[in-house]
Amino acid sequence: MAMTATQRARVSLNVQAGIFIVAVAALILATDWETIGASVFNFGKIGPMFPDIFLVGLTNTLVYTFLGFIVGLSGGLLLALMKLSTFPLYRWIATGYIEFFRGIPALLVFIAFGYGVPLAFGVSWNVTVVVMVSLGMVAAAYIAETLRAGLQAVPKGQLEAARSLGMPQWRAMVTIIIPQAFKIVLPPLTNEVILLTKDSSLIYVLGLTASQFELTKFGRDGISSLGAGLTPLLVAGALYLVITIPLSLLARKFESRSARTKR
Amino acid sequence: MNDVVNSSPKAAHVRAAGVSLTGLRKSYGSNEVLKGINLDVAPGEVVCLIGPSGSGKSTLLRCVNLLEQPNEGTVHVGGFEATHPDVDIDRMRRKVGMVFQQFNLFPHLNALQNCTVAQTKVLKRSQAEADQVAQANLDRVGLGHLADRYPDQLSGGQQQRVAIARALSMDPELMLFDEPTSALDPETVGDVLSVMRNLAKEGMTMLVVTHEMGFAREVADRVVFMDGGVVVEEGSAEQVISAPTQDRTKEFLRRVLDPTHIDLS
Repeated sequence: MAMTATQRARVSLNVQAGIFIVAVAALILATDWETIGASVFNFGKIGPMFPDIFLVGLTNTLVYTFLGFIVGLSGGLLLALMKLSTFPLYRWIATGYIEFFRGIPALLVFIAFGYGVPLAFGVSWNVTVVVMVSLGMVAAAYIAETLRAGLQAVPKGQLEAARSLGMPQWRAMVTIIIPQAFKIVLPPLTNEVILLTKDSSLIYVLGLTASQFELTKFGRDGISSLGAGLTPLLVAGALYLVITIPLSLLARKFESRSARTKR
Repeated sequence: MNDVVNSSPKAAHVRAAGVSLTGLRKSYGSNEVLKGINLDVAPGEVVCLIGPSGSGKSTLLRCVNLLEQPNEGTVHVGGFEATHPDVDIDRMRRKVGMVFQQFNLFPHLNALQNCTVAQTKVLKRSQAEADQVAQANLDRVGLGHLADRYPDQLSGGQQQRVAIARALSMDPELMLFDEPTSALDPETVGDVLSVMRNLAKEGMTMLVVTHEMGFAREVADRVVFMDGGVVVEEGSAEQVISAPTQDRTKEFLRRVLDPTHIDLS
């Protein structure tokens, strides 16, 4: 018996939904709920985490991310302009930097700035500075590429119009080109902040005092002190989502707005 | 469209500069676009550049304010050598207004701000003075009532008139127009041309690349026909458009003035 294309599509979707339901049911049946309950969903014992997980953990995650973003944005803008420069040396430096910091794990950068640089130069850095520099330098490499794409997306006629009004190159960039580029890169830039938020967890490789703990470190600390198994990490994870989901929604909003104004 | 184009006599004291181009050459790789152009425009004169696309007329125009760097030859604007290696190019460009085919208004600024941004950042005028000059020039192009609109809220013809007001707000001594009506809907062309006509009457030096033969015949003091990177013929508008002497000019005009003609040769 022949089916129409619509009927075939409907049957196929029903089969896919059926497979999904069976898989979920199998997973639920196979799970050892007693153990999981004691070691992951053990909410009875995590009382001592509050309110410090907000006052210290969440706050520090936000502060570290913000500081890293400020360094990353300034550095990224500088690198993007260098990459678009007509002077080859600037382009080479920017390309080298970007490829290097995008190519190595952020964890190694934290270790380098947390232990390597202080040893090499005999300085002792405050943890906040290490996080700011490490996160910022990694972020700069990613943000540079995003900004470069944004700057190149501004039509060439904009620069010509600005220059023909007597604006020097730097003035045309600052007043005309960069503001337009920022509007274009707002959605991808918001995604960079989400990545940074998560990367701030790498601070755990540094020696921290309790007041410097951010969400992940706070959660790990809870594992050893509360006897609630992995439950503290579950709470920390949920708090990351409290930061990242609104950012994600914001990025989507920026995207739809720029799609609407484009003609 | 019911905007009234205003030709207030108070704006009619233009300080106009002349232009002198000698031996101008420009190549892109092995493609020579300008093959030694000599052209003089007297202060207050209106010169229309006509010719087929690819003839080098836009490149020539863009060499005048050095948006394109000529390979050889000199450009003088108002007695000041724009092609001299030590010239302050930004200072020279303040005297030269440019209007583009694609308008190139700044989309993140409203009409008034488009006209004030270079006044405050380049000429260092106060915001109040810049606003006043910008408003006067928007009035001059008949768009004073749309000063707070953003470019994407304006029609093509309105955008082009804002672009003219933006250039005029710098008090230029010379205006360059690069096919200012080619990207416009036919019904908005007239408003832009009438602004340009008024500007010509006020004594502005104008160098206009255009396909509007009617405008050239009516407004231009002189018409220059270019083809293949050289000036083929130049003279009064009447002479070049109505009684061309060169075959290439005749052929071009025949096609432009009778677009239904299809050349099967």
